[in-house]
Amino acid sequence: MTERRKGLLLLVPALLVMAVFTVYPLFDALRMSFTNENILRDSSEFVGLANYQRLLTDDVFLLSLRHSIVLVTAVIVLQFVLGLILAWAMSQDLPGMTLFKSVIMASWVIPVAATVIMFKFMAQPDIGLINIILQGLGFEDLNRYWFGDPTWAFPFIILLHLWRNVPFYGIAFLAAMQAIPDSYYEAAEIDGANAWNKFRYITLPGIRSMIVVMVTIHVLWTFNNFDFVFLATGGGPVNRTDVLPVYVYRQSWNSYTVGYASSIGAVMLVMLMIYFIVYLRISEREA
Amino acid sequence: MLWIIYTSFRTQASIFTGDVISPIEDYTLENYEVILSVADFPAFFWNSFRIALAVTLISLVFSILAAYGLSRFKIKGKNAIITGVFSTQMFPPVLLIIPMFLIIFNMNLLDTVTGVVLGQLILILPFQVWMLKGYFDNIPTDLDEAARIDGCGIFQRLIYVVLPVALPGIMVAAFFSFVVSWGDFLIVSVISQTQRTATVTLVIQRLSGALLIRWGQVAAATVLTIVPTIILFFFVQNRLVSGLTAGAVKGD
Repeated sequence: MTERRKGLLLLVPALLVMAVFTVYPLFDALRMSFTNENILRDSSEFVGLANYQRLLTDDVFLLSLRHSIVLVTAVIVLQFVLGLILAWAMSQDLPGMTLFKSVIMASWVIPVAATVIMFKFMAQPDIGLINIILQGLGFEDLNRYWFGDPTWAFPFIILLHLWRNVPFYGIAFLAAMQAIPDSYYEAAEIDGANAWNKFRYITLPGIRSMIVVMVTIHVLWTFNNFDFVFLATGGGPVNRTDVLPVYVYRQSWNSYTVGYASSIGAVMLVMLMIYFIVYLRISEREA
Repeated sequence: MLWIIYTSFRTQASIFTGDVISPIEDYTLENYEVILSVADFPAFFWNSFRIALAVTLISLVFSILAAYGLSRFKIKGKNAIITGVFSTQMFPPVLLIIPMFLIIFNMNLLDTVTGVVLGQLILILPFQVWMLKGYFDNIPTDLDEAARIDGCGIFQRLIYVVLPVALPGIMVAAFFSFVVSWGDFLIVSVISQTQRTATVTLVIQRLSGALLIRWGQVAAATVLTIVPTIILFFFVQNRLVSGLTAGAVKGD
């Protein structure tokens, strides 16, 4: 057997698992999206585009779609900006920074379910830390359950994402910044560049590939993220925080209408594919 | 996080006073005693642990082999395979889990540890392969070239030459799969049907969803859920980000 053949064999176990549990399910789900399949029934029929037509008039779907887009945009932009600021702050020589850098990633490591419980507890009326502090500051009338508040529930979902991911961004950007040779900055200083110019023309291009990777991965992860909303609010109050993955889950496992659920999932997939193709185009053009 | 640890040592009554600090006699270990004895928590903890361990070992073997193959061998359509593996990251897990539920049901593996492990593998493998491939690419090939000329087979080269050098990256990869598996809610919530396979994430979610929430106990359970991940985190903390983004530093 040639070396090349052996190299190919090394891929077999991983690709086999992905074929059976990722690729096949993907196509099977796409097939289901054209049927009225229901977990509780044995048989299902082909219904053509009926599920997709229903989507167009489904208010909850349209609302979830809008929420998903707003959530991903807001979360990615805020994470990027806050991540940059955090990376800059961590690059300064402040006391305790080494310790800070080593513990800060912990927020990314602990289970999402635990994060959500911590925030839910802090958001409790009367006994939660947030409301205790607000009362201490004299804002008694703001006392409420923040995840149950129609206006504030969605910002709190964004906050959960930020709390988990901003440290990851910060540390990743910091690592990329430290790989930029000091001589670049020294040369710029001799040429009389100010802080903004140094940032704009040296730092940003220097960490470019890291930015691209972090943003790409997080667009996919945030858009597909199900845990935060499901665990924190379940989509409520009255659908105010519903996002597409949560709606798919409810359609599948509360209503058991997996055919319809698949059509929503298929829309999600198409949206991400468009994003991914654009990303590949851009990265190929630069390579 | 400090707040939840603090809460886990307080009595139900003192939590509900709304005071931040309560008299010393209001602190207690009772919450932990109740969680550990009455609530079957150790059983769920064990479920989480063996699932995460199995997922970590299996995914590690599979992804090391695949990453080694992709990094060190000339394979036809290699770039297409890498892009393909990476692009599975965009498949919505909530969509995949529907047919996966049916597959696992037909394999008679519903509500078994094996079923949960198989399900969780797909959350981990694509990213892990991509990340380890990047890590292996950053290791100079001179050594395994030399070993090849000396007549070492591919597995000898992997075990004696590549693995020792790549150990930091492999630790991060192992950590990644353990943490993802330990924190997984989606797959477990669908595949697990009874207490036989319920994991800690499922249980703390149920405790915190009860009508009358005993926050002291919820806090204790949450702290116990976090502890293992934090302990492991301290072993890899400094390498975590460079390991996770290794695929980025030298992509293809």
